[in-house]
Amino acid sequence: MVDTNLTDFIIDAKNLTKRYGKSVAVDNISFQIPAGRIVGLIGPNGSGKTTTLKAMLGLVPFEGELKVLGLDPRTQRDELMKQVSFIADVAVLPRWIRVREAIDFVAGVHPKFDRAKAERYIQNTKLKPAMKVKEMSKGMIVQLHLALVMAIDAKLLVLDEPTLGLDILYRKQFYQNLLEDYFDENKTIIVTTHQVEEIEHILSDLMFIREGKITLSASMDEIAERFIEVMVSADNLAAALALKPIDERQVFGKSVMLFDTATSNSSADAVKALGEARAPGIADLFVATMRGTYA
Amino acid sequence: MSTSIGTDVNTMKWLIKREFWEHKGGFFWAPVVVAIVMAVFLAVAIAGTAYVGSQGVVTYNVESIDGGVAQPKTVKVLTPEKIKEVGEQLSVQIAHAYMGISAPLLAVFYLAVVFFCLGALYDERKNRSILFWKSLPISDAATVVSKVVTAIVLAPVLTFCVATILALVVVVVACTTSMLMGFNMFSEVLGAASFYFAPLQIAALLPVYVLWALPSVGLLLMIGALAPSKPFLWAVGTPLVTGVFLAMTNSIFQFGWNLSWYWRDIVGRGFLSVMPGSWFAMNPLDSHFSPTANVVDMAPLFSQSWQQLATANLWIGVVVGSAMIYAAIRVRRWKDEG
Repeated sequence: MVDTNLTDFIIDAKNLTKRYGKSVAVDNISFQIPAGRIVGLIGPNGSGKTTTLKAMLGLVPFEGELKVLGLDPRTQRDELMKQVSFIADVAVLPRWIRVREAIDFVAGVHPKFDRAKAERYIQNTKLKPAMKVKEMSKGMIVQLHLALVMAIDAKLLVLDEPTLGLDILYRKQFYQNLLEDYFDENKTIIVTTHQVEEIEHILSDLMFIREGKITLSASMDEIAERFIEVMVSADNLAAALALKPIDERQVFGKSVMLFDTATSNSSADAVKALGEARAPGIADLFVATMRGTYA
Repeated sequence: MSTSIGTDVNTMKWLIKREFWEHKGGFFWAPVVVAIVMAVFLAVAIAGTAYVGSQGVVTYNVESIDGGVAQPKTVKVLTPEKIKEVGEQLSVQIAHAYMGISAPLLAVFYLAVVFFCLGALYDERKNRSILFWKSLPISDAATVVSKVVTAIVLAPVLTFCVATILALVVVVVACTTSMLMGFNMFSEVLGAASFYFAPLQIAALLPVYVLWALPSVGLLLMIGALAPSKPFLWAVGTPLVTGVFLAMTNSIFQFGWNLSWYWRDIVGRGFLSVMPGSWFAMNPLDSHFSPTANVVDMAPLFSQSWQQLATANLWIGVVVGSAMIYAAIRVRRWKDEG
């Protein structure tokens, strides 16, 4: 990146490092996220994604440089939290609180909370105003938390596994709402989830993280250009293997190969000529790039 | 920056409200239930005593046995003169010391505040709800201060209100009973100025209490913020183990230390200062005054409490307490719960 004013980016990390004793959770990473993006932060458990999010939210100290909305989360957290909203983990709502109290409280302390919006979300659920969190199912707790957070007009929203424990109907509904009711060009969303397939259609950018390092950071358009999945017909098999696919799997007796045109010194055209080509799914891409993580 | 101050005041209001929602049980319902039980118990006791007294004592006059039939004879112990004498004495005592009736509520209050302080910065870590609170634009300082205010302003005010109502109920029961027995204590009690001053003089102790209780609240909050688990055991165990260690060192090496300062000024101030009035025991002033004397006069209780403000003991506690509250804020800001 060319030298730009720091505030042009919602997040600007330079040599961000976080150590826990001797182990390095986040290893000297640098990245920038401009406004108006929906970024998927994808990585296996223990890869450092939650630590990275915590550093952004001023929840843990770290080394290196990190600006969020132009502010240092270590020293300017109170200022930062007026503009940032997050769901850091599932089921963190206090168990004693009632739906009505939670709404009253957030409405009372958050200048950017839209009470009517939160109440509208809640009307579409089975939640009742007098209900306490401890009486709710896991799914209902998440529904309440999401209703509260979606009604906050924040510049940056960080979602760490937001839909864990929700059934598929509500998950679809949630991402739909996020896109239609919440997101606009002035907002930025960073989301992590294990259910990658469910968010790939809403993402604008993708970041893979592995062992504390970013292994891939690109926009979805760049990814569609760079990675190509081809269903290779049997007679092209040898030619395809020569182009060094990064992944290969069998579907109905045919080979589906994944090519990274940036590293396999093969042009996109050469790859596409091998057979039926299409953009790969994030899940397949993830599996291919993370290969060996658990070995 | 009037808008910023307005926001801070508003946030503080909601933070305290939120503490009340969570701890209504300990700070409101517990004293109310104990007060109701006490009121019923005392009413029965007063009415019962009066009834038995007014019935007199039944005696059997042996001399009147005639043909094997004993004639019972009732002797009135409570003559109108006796009732008047007792009533007048009681009126004076009640008018001065009726607030003392509610003293047992202080035990409930003490336990509620100690457990509140220990849990205030511990429970939110344990159940991870700290991540929810930290997702809102509320500073750690505001959060911790709201817990301090809840513990040493909101909780004592609530207990004081319940205590006053309980004391008044018992006074009404006692006076009504006396009236039924032929002596009107109402006019005596209601005519005494001390009857009206007593609650005001106790309420006016709040600033002394707040300053006196700070080291305890600070220490308990800090233990809750730091304890990896079981803050209550840390709170009880640490001073005990330290005390035993000091005592053993003292006796083994024959240092001849006087360890009473440790128990009074460290352990006492650290763990018992949230008890209202504990300054009388831990920092007694020259003039002799014991709140447990037969008739408690509120005026010296008031003035002697305020004289605490002239002692180094109180102000050292304020400084140490504030430092521990500051430490609790820093710990909450940076402790990583993984």
